[in-house]
Formats: sequence, C-alpha cells, structure tokens
Amino acid sequence: MEIFDLLMMGFSEAMTPQNLGFCLIGALLGTLIGVLPGIGPTATIAVLLPITFFLPPLAGIIMLAGIYYGAQYGGSTTAILVNLPGEASAVVTALDGYQMAQQGRAGSALAVAALGSFFAGTVATFGIAIAGPMLSSFALNFGPAEYVALMVFGLLAATILASGPVLKAIGMILIGLLFGMVGTDQATGAERLTFGSLELFDGIDFTVIAIGLFGFSEIISNLERSGSEGVKVAKLTRLWPTREDFRRSWPAVLRGTGIGSFLGILPGGGATLASFSAYSLEKKVSKHPHKFGTGVVEGVAAPEAANNAAAQSSFIPLLTLGIPSNNMMAMMLSAFMIHGITPGPTVMTTQPEIFWGLVASMWIGNALLVFINLPLIGLWVKLLTVPYRLLYPAILLFCCVGVYSMNNRIFDVLLAAGFGLLGYAFRKAKCEPGPLLLGFVLGPLLEANLRRTLLITQGDPSIFVERPISLTMLAATVILLALMILPSFRKKREEAFQEEES
Amino acid sequence: MAGPSVARKGDGPDLLTAGLFIGFGALGFWLARDLDQGTLAQMGAGYLPRAVCGLLILLGGVIGAVALRRRAEAIEPMRLRPLLVIFLSIVGFAYLCEHGGFVLASLWLIIAGSLADPGGRWRTTLMLAGGLTAFGALVFVYGLGVQIELWPF
Repeated sequence: MEIFDLLMMGFSEAMTPQNLGFCLIGALLGTLIGVLPGIGPTATIAVLLPITFFLPPLAGIIMLAGIYYGAQYGGSTTAILVNLPGEASAVVTALDGYQMAQQGRAGSALAVAALGSFFAGTVATFGIAIAGPMLSSFALNFGPAEYVALMVFGLLAATILASGPVLKAIGMILIGLLFGMVGTDQATGAERLTFGSLELFDGIDFTVIAIGLFGFSEIISNLERSGSEGVKVAKLTRLWPTREDFRRSWPAVLRGTGIGSFLGILPGGGATLASFSAYSLEKKVSKHPHKFGTGVVEGVAAPEAANNAAAQSSFIPLLTLGIPSNNMMAMMLSAFMIHGITPGPTVMTTQPEIFWGLVASMWIGNALLVFINLPLIGLWVKLLTVPYRLLYPAILLFCCVGVYSMNNRIFDVLLAAGFGLLGYAFRKAKCEPGPLLLGFVLGPLLEANLRRTLLITQGDPSIFVERPISLTMLAATVILLALMILPSFRKKREEAFQEEES
Repeated sequence: MAGPSVARKGDGPDLLTAGLFIGFGALGFWLARDLDQGTLAQMGAGYLPRAVCGLLILLGGVIGAVALRRRAEAIEPMRLRPLLVIFLSIVGFAYLCEHGGFVLASLWLIIAGSLADPGGRWRTTLMLAGGLTAFGALVFVYGLGVQIELWPF
C-alpha cells in the first residue's frame, strides 16, 4: 500500500527531535491558551506567525497546527472545572461538564473529554491521509473557472454556516477583498488604494491585519470588560471514568467524530460549529433528552470529540485545494506562504514530506495532548488563577515584536495599531472580523483566477455555467443564498444559534 | 442603555456597521478614481476595486435602512482608557524600537500598557516589565535572531 509508505515517511519526518520538540511546544501552548480565557488560538497564531519565519517550514507549521488542536483540549478543561469555556468550541462542554464536576465527577468528565478527543483526532488524521490524495488528484483538473466558483462558494458558505447576521459577514468579506487589493496590481503593475504611500506598494501584510484585528483589539475589549480574576475551581476527584461512563460515552464519541469530521471539511465549519451540532444531535438521539444539562456524560463526550475531529479535518480543503475554510485556516495558509509554499494539490507531489509530516505530527500531537492534559491537570488549573492584568502585557509585547520583526519598520506597527482600532469599531458594530480575514487571503487568488478566466473566454462569463464543476458550485451557492432569504429557514437558523448561546 | 421603549428606533450597532461599510466603499471609490477601468475581458486595475466598493455601499445602504426601522438598541458604552492607553503604548513602542533599542521599547510598552488596567500595583508592574524584557531579549533577539538593537548606543 502506497499510502502506508507515505505515512511512514511522514512519521519519520515528524519524529525528528526538532519536529517532535515543536509539536510538543505547539501542543503545550495550545493547551495553555485553551485554558486561559481571553486568548484564543486565532490571536495566538497571529502573534506567532512572524516567528515561524525563523524556523524551518515543517517545524513552524507543525507548531501552529499543534496550537490549534491543542486549544480544543485545553478549552474543555476550564469549561468542565470552572464553567468558563476557554474557547468558543467548548461552550457546550460547559453545560454538562460543569454539572458533572459539581457532582464530584470532574475527573471522569475530563478523562472522557481527553480520550474522546484523542479518538476523534486519530480518526480525522487518517481521514486526511485517505481523503487528501484523492481530493488533490481531483483538484488537479481544476481550471481558473472552477477555482473562481469554488472560492465564491467557499466565501459565501463560510458566512452562512458561521453565526451572526449574513449581510454583515458578506460586507466583512468585501472589506477583506478590498484590503487584499491594496498595493501593486499583479496584472497591470498599477498602484492601487495606497494613498500614494511607498510602504503600501507591496500590499498589507497578513500578520499586520491579523495581529491588529485579533491581537490588539481583543486586548482592548477584554480590558473594557475586565474582571477575569478570582475563579472558583471545582474539586478534582478520581480521574478514571467508571465503566458506566465508558459504556455511555463511546457511541457518543463515535457520532461526534463523524459529525465533526464532516463539518470540519465544509467552508465555515470548524470546531465551534461541530461541537454545537454534535451536542444537539446527542440530545435528539438520546432516550432522555430532558436530562441534558444536568451532568450527562454524552453531553461532554460528543462535542469534545466533534470539535477535535473538526479541527483536524478543516485542514483537508486547505491542504488539497489551497482554499482555507475558516479564519484559522487562513492563518495556516499564510504560515505556508511565509515559507514560499503555496498549499494546494501540487504540494503533495512536489513536497510530500510537508504534507505527510504534518499529518503524522497531528497524530503524535494528539497522543502528546492526552499526556499533557490528564496527569498535568493540576498545573493547568493553577494557571487559571493568574489574573488577566499580568497576562496582557506579555501578549502585547509578543504582538508588537512580531509585527516589528517582519520588516523592521515602524510603519507596520502603526498600521497594526490602526487595525486594532478598526477591530474595536467592528466589535462595537457587532461584526465578526473572521470573514474579513478570509476575504483578504482569498482576494488576490480570486482576482487572478477571475481575470484569467475572462481573458481566456474574451469576456464571456457563460463559462462559469458551462463547466460542470463550476456550475455545481455556483448552484450550491445560489441555493444557500436563497435559503437564507427564505424566512422560515432563517428563523430556524437563528433559533439554532440562540440555543447554542444560551 | 436603551430600555424596552418602543417609541425610539434605530439599531445602533447596525447603523455603525452601515456607516463603516459605506465609508470604506466611498474611500475605495475615491482612491480608485484614477485607475484604469478596462473591459470584462481585459480588466484594468480599477475594475474589481470599483465593483467591490459598489457592492459594499449597496450592502451598507440595505443594512442601514433596515436598522433604522428596528427597535432602538444602543452601542455598548465605550471606555476610552484601555483604548487610548493601549494604542499610545504601541505607537511609542514602534518609535522606541527604531531609535531607542529593544530594552527601552519593551519597558515602555509594558509599563505604559499596564496603565490600561486601573487595578495594577507599581511593584508588580515593574517586576513584570523587567522580567518580560529580559525574556524578550533572550528569546527574540538572541534566540530567534530578530534584528533589533538592544540598547540605544
């Protein structure tokens, strides 16, 4: 079997002391920020992005990926022990997990969460290994028209599946596209939207936008709310789940893994959506749905498995098509770009060690996380008592050094500070900055492919409906949009999200 | 904050959104004024920026019109202290990095930035500043080789 040879090669890449070390660092950092409320994986990766430039490509990417799925493990710890979800994807875990902790079953809940996550991570990793090569050989047939359709579908589907008002999200994508156009036009060489400033000729750096919108503005709005001190931690008792807990959680883990792996692939999917969906599915199939929210082990097992599975499988569209499906993957895309690697179907053949090394490292990272989380749980709980006022100066410093070190320019730091203010305004306007990042990353690709398509057809747009793959994707986009406009569906979606928020 | 009064209208956050969208659209249009439009087959540099800005303004208009009829909802109150302090400490860092070296810049950033939270005590702040600066110098400047001078001289 060729796939096993490739996987073995991946493991030998991922097992080198250096890569293993960075995998461990990523997993530790991910757990850390997952535990700490107020710092998300998006902001962390934005901060560390410029630093990965100083590392070898595979090591940097392994570390960033580790942060992403590590945060899913860490988020559950605080959700269960203090009813404070460290990550958005752990919100539903808090519902039943905290109740279990109140009943003295905290250890059991934590162990189910960690083992369920590990199982889901393993399945999803093999999913990438199997689906990756298939999808990418399919994607090699894509022409520019297909890519345009795929990107339009990806961008719009991402907004529809994500929470929040759709019109705002579309607007944020457009603003992202606009920011992506700043600088020298690829095709004509003309300066666009630069205010005549020399510093903007090369366009805006992704890191500047990401750190401004996610790093700086998150600090500002956290400080506005303040009061993240003095949390009460539930007592830890026995760590190993009872046989009864095992019996009830394994089918839930299986369902969660399935739903998570599937939702992770979809644009706009990812960990948060997956955990919410898995929880509502558990409630539907359960024989005693009214008991959910009172400490049911399935209510912990399913969403935890789902968010971890989705965190892994959302790498599939990025690695095979080169299309990021959520803002985390947009970050990963630019991490690849920093090293001059353009993710897409060709990476698997030209640089197989990157793809397979990453896949293997994900499995290793998941195994490491079980060890990081279960025996070291006491340490993480202690960290919760660190007040935010001691944390944010450190985050601030990492953000500033990260931005400055890219080009050693004052300008970049000032621009990032400006984006911090803009991000603050967006928060006040209740606009999610995530879609902006997606639009910014995909904008140049979308424009280049759109121009190429229309150049080939002499300005005839009918090619988009003549090619079957492109037609399918555009039709799916139209259907999704139409569904959004239909009032009944819209109501249902709002209900679904409201349920999640409560 | 807006109570349950039905008389007043206007959804604050949405109106702000509309303003931002229309503002960015208009700014983009103005910046793209000299750019070549081109044709669909041979797009000029200005074709897509204009299209995007047009859509943005349209979208902003729709969101704004709907928001005007919605029940009144105030924008969350703003607190200037964290906003200004964080902004100014970052700006100061940028200039100090270039002209004063990493040590001064980092000390400034942490000490000034700590003022954003009124609860801090001077002793912990100074210890934090010293510790983080030393850590940053070791990890970034020595460890990762970031090109910043440590001292101003």
